[in-house]
Amino acid sequence: MKNLRRVSQILFLIFFIVLFIQTEYKGSNELGLPVKLFLDFDPLIALSALLASHTVRSIFLLSLIVVVLTIFLGRFFCGWVCPLGTLNTAIGYFRTRKLKPLRSEGRYPSMRPVKYYILTFVLVAAVFGWNAAGFLDPISLTIRSLAIGFNPGVNRMVRAFFETTYSLQMPLLSPALDRLYSGMIGTVLAFEQPVFRQGIFIGLIFVVVLGLNVLSPRFWCRYLCPLGALLGLIGWKQLAARVDVDGEKCTSCRRCVVACQGDATPFPVGEWASRECLTCYNCREVCPVDAVSIRATTASTGSGNVDLRRRWLLASGLGALLSVPAVTIGAHRKRPNPYLIRPPGALPEERFVQTCVKCGECMKVCLTNGLHPTFTEAGLEGLWSPVLVPVLGYCEYNCNLCSQVCPTGAIKKVTVEEKKEIRIGLATFDRDRCIPYAYGRNCIVCEEHCPTPEKAIVFEEEEAEDEDGKHFILKKPVIDVELCIGCGICEYKCPVVDVPAVRVTSINESRSEENQLYLEL
Amino acid sequence: MSVVTGPNPALSVRKAVELLGGMGAFVSKGDVVFVKPNISWDRVPKQAATTNPTVVETVVRMVFEAGAKRVIVADNTCNDARRCYARSDIRSAAERAGADVPFMEKRKFVKVDLQGEVLKKWEVYKEAIEADKLINIPIAKHHSLSGVTLSMKNMMGLIGGRRERLHQKLPESIVDLTAYFKPTLHILDAIRLLKARGPASGTTKDVEMLNTVAASTDPVKIDAFGITLFGNNPKDFRHIGIGEDRGLGRSDFTSEGFKKIDLE
Repeated sequence: MKNLRRVSQILFLIFFIVLFIQTEYKGSNELGLPVKLFLDFDPLIALSALLASHTVRSIFLLSLIVVVLTIFLGRFFCGWVCPLGTLNTAIGYFRTRKLKPLRSEGRYPSMRPVKYYILTFVLVAAVFGWNAAGFLDPISLTIRSLAIGFNPGVNRMVRAFFETTYSLQMPLLSPALDRLYSGMIGTVLAFEQPVFRQGIFIGLIFVVVLGLNVLSPRFWCRYLCPLGALLGLIGWKQLAARVDVDGEKCTSCRRCVVACQGDATPFPVGEWASRECLTCYNCREVCPVDAVSIRATTASTGSGNVDLRRRWLLASGLGALLSVPAVTIGAHRKRPNPYLIRPPGALPEERFVQTCVKCGECMKVCLTNGLHPTFTEAGLEGLWSPVLVPVLGYCEYNCNLCSQVCPTGAIKKVTVEEKKEIRIGLATFDRDRCIPYAYGRNCIVCEEHCPTPEKAIVFEEEEAEDEDGKHFILKKPVIDVELCIGCGICEYKCPVVDVPAVRVTSINESRSEENQLYLEL
Repeated sequence: MSVVTGPNPALSVRKAVELLGGMGAFVSKGDVVFVKPNISWDRVPKQAATTNPTVVETVVRMVFEAGAKRVIVADNTCNDARRCYARSDIRSAAERAGADVPFMEKRKFVKVDLQGEVLKKWEVYKEAIEADKLINIPIAKHHSLSGVTLSMKNMMGLIGGRRERLHQKLPESIVDLTAYFKPTLHILDAIRLLKARGPASGTTKDVEMLNTVAASTDPVKIDAFGITLFGNNPKDFRHIGIGEDRGLGRSDFTSEGFKKIDLE
């Protein structure tokens, strides 16, 4: 069983990484694979989005499959499926080997309730409208960290290697490696080197999560993970796979305790803690006298589940209650933030932040690398939710990939045709910087790139003289407010590269009733 | 130069080149040939913002028939390259004919001295200057700054860097580029003419079917001819005058060797 579990873990991790890599444009409007599948099956994502936004979406039903399986198998998801769990298993393995059976090192039994308090905090916060689950949900955490933090680094490293071998022009070797490199671009490597604001910080948080394995194998899973806590509560009966230790055979060697992936104390006999059990089968495999069996039974085979302190539960709930007002008094609530440009299809701001789980899927898939995690633009409640930064990447007119990958519907699923009608902001010119206005030379780059069939950038033409005194028609660009959708390609392509002479701000965004310029729009 | 009108784009291309002596007059056995269509925009063929895929496919086939060893088809696009290559149908058409259709990756640009009037040091695509022959196949479009975009303007797809700056002195820049790259042959795709809101447009309202293909070794001639397709006078376009002054060719395209055929 232990080997079977390992195979399952490895296959699910590979599957996860394949889906992650496929979360990119691959030559057709529709993504071929269900890249957000792990998030769809995640009950914590579904529950927190449901509580915070008071909206039930049919996709949440998928997570019920995990719920039902958990009732019978306990936290099998943690032990057999979760990609972060598998990464922790792999890293923690090196530590497990060093642990001595007779010492109690590597375990912090008193920490076991912490994850339940974290879960309480997250769920209570969700009830009051702050969707904080995504920060700590392992699937969301992993996708975000890989997309924003790791993927750019890995790409940089691999690209630097191949670009060095290319520039060295070694006979035979350089061309061969370059063919390999060309084949990797857009398949295993990103099409273009990804760059994200805050990438290093989001990546470092993940390093810390993985680094916790130094304290104890699978420290995150054992003591902190809110999804693990939720599954532990759902699956505490673990009807189909309960650990049962035969006290007469047991020689008290404690090998099972060291091998235990969770902190489920199969020894002392009778103190097995079902909520902590990851159904990993290590205890049964490692027992030298076959005292451990794992079987379907309704009998109580262990009473080791830790009591959750009422005062701590209360404190967590109260803490959540108090933090909701604290995180939701961002300045953007008083007045719209001009640079909070949300992807097309995004719900109205309040419902958007309640629904978004900050998983980073939309940022990973964005064709132009234009979607970035917010920092303060949307307040603390909206930290790491997506914002379009047009100087770094624009919204491609014919693309709706972000709406395809959003797991919670924070970005509504819109067709490409629907999407073309959605305004996400409005471009305005800075006439002190714009080349025709400020320097009397023609440019028209913004108009040329403007994607709306009826151009949202038109010209005011006037007679002018160039440096040599020759007459020419100077074309000064003007925005048509009713046609501009705020895609930002004008800002991205503007030759005034540092602070572009045309900039998009959030006004006129379709999703807002307040953030509007014209009376009749 | 030659001009062919007819309902079948592939036949028109073949006839136009045949009138100049056939592809064998331009491509030698064992050549590596770089074919440069316009793939700049995320548009479908009927929107006429990118070169007709059948024209590209036919040119690639003809180049191979003339004995070329390898044909490369590529462009430095304005929208996302993956979308442009796919939605223009050019990638699939060129690959069907046996060409390599790589994306222009950053490392393959090299900084060279263009020795132009306005353009000095600039990044150019290495494979385009290393190829034995360069065949330029622009599509005839309206352009909101230069009035038209034809063969000379199409050269902008062979350079990297912040190309947007070229717009400040566009006629001089595209003459500089054409003088530097010196394409072996220009084949102008005017099957569909984009008459307004160029170079990208995005609506078929701006498109007129002309079913015309022109070919020449002279970029000034072919651009001058292209301008007349829009009902304009070549004299009103600065790059024609500058190109002529710089000795790139002649603007009186009917002067010698002008052949016009209607395959209707």
